[in-house]
This record gives sequence, C-alpha cells and structure tokens, in this order.
Amino acid sequence: MKLQRELQIVNRLGLHARACAKLVKTANQFESDIVLRQNEHQADAKSIMGLMMLAATQGTRLTVITSGADAEDAMTQVQHLINNRFEEDE
Amino acid sequence: MLSLSGTGIGRGIAIGRAIVLDQGHNDIPCYRISATALSGEIERFNHAVDAVRADLKRVQRNLPTDAPPETSAFIDVHLLMLDDPVISQQPVQTIQEQQQNAEWALKSHADTLIDFFEDIADPYLRSKKNDVAQVVGRIMGELAHSPGKQPSDLATLGSSLAEQIIVARDLTPADTIMLRGRNMAAFVTSLGGPISHTAILARSLGLPAIVGLHDVIDTIHNNDLLIVDAATGTVLVAPDEPLLAQFRELQQQHLRHQQRLTLLKSEKAVTQDGEAITLLANIELPEDIEGLRSAGAAGVGLYRTEFLFMNRPKPPSEDEQYQAYCHVLRRVEGPVTIRTLDLGADKQVDGGRPDRETTATSALGLRAIRLCLSEPSLFKPQLRAILRAAVHGDAQIMIPMLSSLRELEQSLALVGEVCAELEREAVAFNPKVPLGGMIEVPAAAVSADLFARKLDFLSIGTNDLIQYTLAIDRVDDSVNYLYDPLHPSVLRLIRTVIRAGHEADIPVSMCGEMAGDPAFTRLLLGLGLRHFSMEPSQLLEIRQQVRQSTLAGLSGQVTDILNCVETGSLYDLVDQLNQTDSD
Repeated sequence: MKLQRELQIVNRLGLHARACAKLVKTANQFESDIVLRQNEHQADAKSIMGLMMLAATQGTRLTVITSGADAEDAMTQVQHLINNRFEEDE
Repeated sequence: MLSLSGTGIGRGIAIGRAIVLDQGHNDIPCYRISATALSGEIERFNHAVDAVRADLKRVQRNLPTDAPPETSAFIDVHLLMLDDPVISQQPVQTIQEQQQNAEWALKSHADTLIDFFEDIADPYLRSKKNDVAQVVGRIMGELAHSPGKQPSDLATLGSSLAEQIIVARDLTPADTIMLRGRNMAAFVTSLGGPISHTAILARSLGLPAIVGLHDVIDTIHNNDLLIVDAATGTVLVAPDEPLLAQFRELQQQHLRHQQRLTLLKSEKAVTQDGEAITLLANIELPEDIEGLRSAGAAGVGLYRTEFLFMNRPKPPSEDEQYQAYCHVLRRVEGPVTIRTLDLGADKQVDGGRPDRETTATSALGLRAIRLCLSEPSLFKPQLRAILRAAVHGDAQIMIPMLSSLRELEQSLALVGEVCAELEREAVAFNPKVPLGGMIEVPAAAVSADLFARKLDFLSIGTNDLIQYTLAIDRVDDSVNYLYDPLHPSVLRLIRTVIRAGHEADIPVSMCGEMAGDPAFTRLLLGLGLRHFSMEPSQLLEIRQQVRQSTLAGLSGQVTDILNCVETGSLYDLVDQLNQTDSD
C-alpha cells in the first residue's frame, strides 16, 4: 500500500533537532518506508540527518509518502505528530 | 618494502616497531590503509561508534534529577545521529573503497554535512551543525584512544618503549627530556640535521637516529616494522625476512665492536707518543652520570642546566638548583663544568621566561647570557646555587654565548655581587670557583685572546660557532647542507681560540659535537686541542682514536688542511690524516 499526503510544518521552530528525533522515533515503529519530500529534496523519515537537512521551517509544505504493509498507520501517526507541533507549546 | 633515506646519526642498527608521535601539526591524521588491514580499520571505527553510543546512554540514564527536561531529548538527538547511515555507515564505505583511515573517512563526511548546514538560511536550523560537530567529535575522541595506527601522544606513551622506534616531525628539547630513560631503540624525524636536538639526544643515549627525512616520513605508520641503519642513513619500512636476518647479523657485529670498545674503559687516553689527553663528558640529567662512569670520563666538561627549567611553569628555586648541583658534584670525580642557563632560541622553556612567550625565537635573539643579564632574578639564584654547591666538589662556572667583553664584565660583576651577598648572609660557599666562557660566537672567537685574559678557561661550542660563522639557521632544514665543520673559517677560528688559550696559559676545551666525532679527533689534536668533552656514549670511541694517534707530524698535516683551496680534496686530506698509522 502506498499513501501520499500534503502537510504543513506548523510549529514555530520548524523541523529542528528534537522534532526530527521524535519523527525518527515514530517512523522507526513502522515497517513501511516513510519519505518526506520538499520540492526536489527528499528525506527518509528514519534518518535524523536527512530530516535535519531538509531545513524545513515553520510554514514549509511537505509531501509525506508512506509505503508498505502498515502505511496507513504510519501516515496517521506522522500526520498527528506534525499537526500537534511535535508536542511543543508553540 | 619501502626504503627512505636521510641523515644518519651514529653507526648503530635498530630493528623495531614505529611509534609515530602526534605533534599537533595535523589534528586529524590522514593515511592509507593497506588492503589487508581494512577490516581491522572498519572494526576500529565501529568500536568507536559503539563506545560513544554506550557512553551517551550511560549519561542519559544517570542524568541528575534537576537536569532540564530537554537534556534527555538532546541526547536522543545525538544517539539518533550516531545511528544515522551518514555518520555510522558512509564512513565505513569510504574506508573500504578509498582505503582511508577511519578519522579521515569520518572527517570527509562530517565536513560535507557541516558545509550543508552552514548554507541553511534559518539561523536556528543552521546552528544544528554544532550537533553534527559534537557527535563527530565524540567519535574522533574515541578513535584517538583506540589502538589503531594513528599517531601517539608523547605524554600518554608507556614508560618503557623497548624495541620501539620513535617517529616524529621533530623533537624539541622538552620532548627529548621526556624520552630519556624509556629505552627506545631509535629515532626517526622529518626535520633536523646532524646537530638537531634529536641528533644530540640520540648520541647521548648511544642510539641510532635518522633525521632530515622530509615528507617521506608520512609513509611510516604506527606499528610498522622498521630497520634503522644509521651508518647509511636508511630507514627500511616493512622489510622482508631475508633482509631482517641480514640486518640482525649487522646489528650483532656492531654490538661486538661496542663490546670491544668497553675494554678500553680503564685504559688511559694517551697518544702513541705519550701525550695525555683529557676526555670529559657532556651531561644533562643526573642519570647521565652512570654513562660517564662506565666510559671512564675524567670529569664533566659541560653540564647543561636547562633541563631543571623545562616542562614546568616556574623556574626552580635556588635551593632546588643547589640540591641538583650537589647531587652531581658529589658523584663525579674530577671537575664539573656547570654551564649557566642557555635558554632562548630553539630552547623555549616555560620556567625560564614566564612573561616572554612572544619574544622572537631567533638563535640571534635574547638568549643564554643575554637573557640572564637582562633578568638577574633568573640568573642570580643559579649563580648562588652553584657557588654554594661548589663547597662539595670541583665545580666550574661556564658562561654560554659571550659575544662582547661588556657581557663578560657584567657577568663577573654579578658573580662578585653574589659572593658578597653570600658572605654577608654567612652562607657557606666557595669563592674560588673557576669561571670560564663558551666561545661559540665568531666575535668572541676572533678576540679570544681578550676574553682569555679575564677568564680561567675557554670552551669551544662548535655547534653554534659553525652556524653563526656560516650564517646557517640550525632549525632551517633547507640550509642544512651548508653546515660544514671542515669549513676553513671554522677551523681557523678554532685554531685562534686554542692559541689564545695557550698564550694566556689557560685550558681550552671543546664541548660541541665535533669533539665527539672520531673523524675529527686527529684534526683537533693537530690544531692543539687537549681537552675534549662529549656525550658519554662517544667517550670510548674517541679514547680509541686518541690511543692510535701520534701527535708528532699532525700539526703539519693540519696546516695543509687549513690552507687547502680545493674543497673536494679537503675531506680526502682528513681521511688521510685518519688513516696514517692507525693500528
């Protein structure tokens, strides 16, 4: 199964180190491949360096692509984390 | 196998494993890994990553309860970065494919990452390059402690370096102090000539050394098997078994020669025609006294005192110096010539000049007696300590680097002042300590007769005399080829000094490297020299040379050498001199 969804980074600091760490930890719970794409750049959600190098600031639009047996759950969790500002206050 | 050539010091042969000293010239070591060693290097890298991971987890587990809540999250970031393929897997590929060492492979990937972050517009995200640097730094730190082929830090080496060969860019006087007593087999350096500190150290320890290897030294790695052949100035890297066997045999022959020389220990240093020659030792550390005894020296012609001032933040007190001088005086029979502080130039020492770190390090700068006269608070405690210690033995004071009579007058005045002080304080001291000067500046050599009238003895320091006369910077490798003890100007200056001493009826000795080189013994005898001071390891060789020489006729042959205008035949003439009637 393969899913694709447009998401926006809403937390103030963007995809900073701790946010990336949370995303990687979340992504690692799934078998599926999880990729974040921003224009021509693409990062594996299981690689913290890749995510950090996307340098996605607040307001950045990303395409999340999940593919694999648990792609649906993976998408739900990733979407939840991003929309909840990585559990940060702002 | 690889063969490298430089300038050999001594005649010995050493076989051993390389210890490459990391001297901070290349923070991140870079070298090639042989195909057979690749898996070991990858393992070393993986071990380092594992060690950092274990360490971070330990820190995370043991966080103090009052630590900010984000701390654990930040450690998570570093743990995840550590597990990221960019950090933990791509360097492994680079080690494998490009046969690079772990540090360099990691550095090249880290640099790419850091460059990338630096280009990010958002300042907060850009600052994440620091996290990369921190994680990489931790791995580098682990690699530096793992037993790989990377350079070693002198301070962390074990106390015994038996069958190991020190490989370094250059050795400073402070390094040479730290290396004494560690029993290494040889030295190999990229810089340095025949009178570099490495060379002097090697001679004093009786070890072979190869200096002036230039960049080729970079091809030697920690733990490489090396053969050092000082006689030919060759270093063989990773020799095969037949070659090893051949050199082991040569090594045995050399040892047998050395053993035969030890039979000369109690024989007198007398020429064939009955003239007694005084053979003295140059010493530095109290341990050197043992070598002096076993080679039967008649005393100490040069006691270097700088070591007391090295590797420490403050100069030693008068009492500490007094104890050190007493120690030597009580153990040596015969005169002990104590050279006052010869600091400055290439001997930069913390203890000697606490607030002068920025002073130019030129050999022509504020050093030796110049420094001492400009800082009486440094000089006077040393003079007091020597005068007090002289109660316990036959001490002499020798002032280095005199260039003007004014310096001599000032020094004599200071000695007088110190004597008066000691007298007033009713402290025991010897007011009749002979005072001599080192003649190593051409100005002093040319006017040696004037200096001789005010001094009790002269001592020729050939190392500096040669470099100043020929305008050679001793630490500049590129002009080393000009260093020539047989330059007519050098020989004429030596003759001038010896004659000045004879006319003033005071002894003249020589304490430079020339005095301990058997190739020059007859030449110096012919020039009228009767007192030789050298590294203890050279004493037996020179004794043998003296005993095989006949003074009669030497001075005529030496005059021919001094008047020789054909540079090519100069060395032939010296060879002839050395061959006549040798046993």
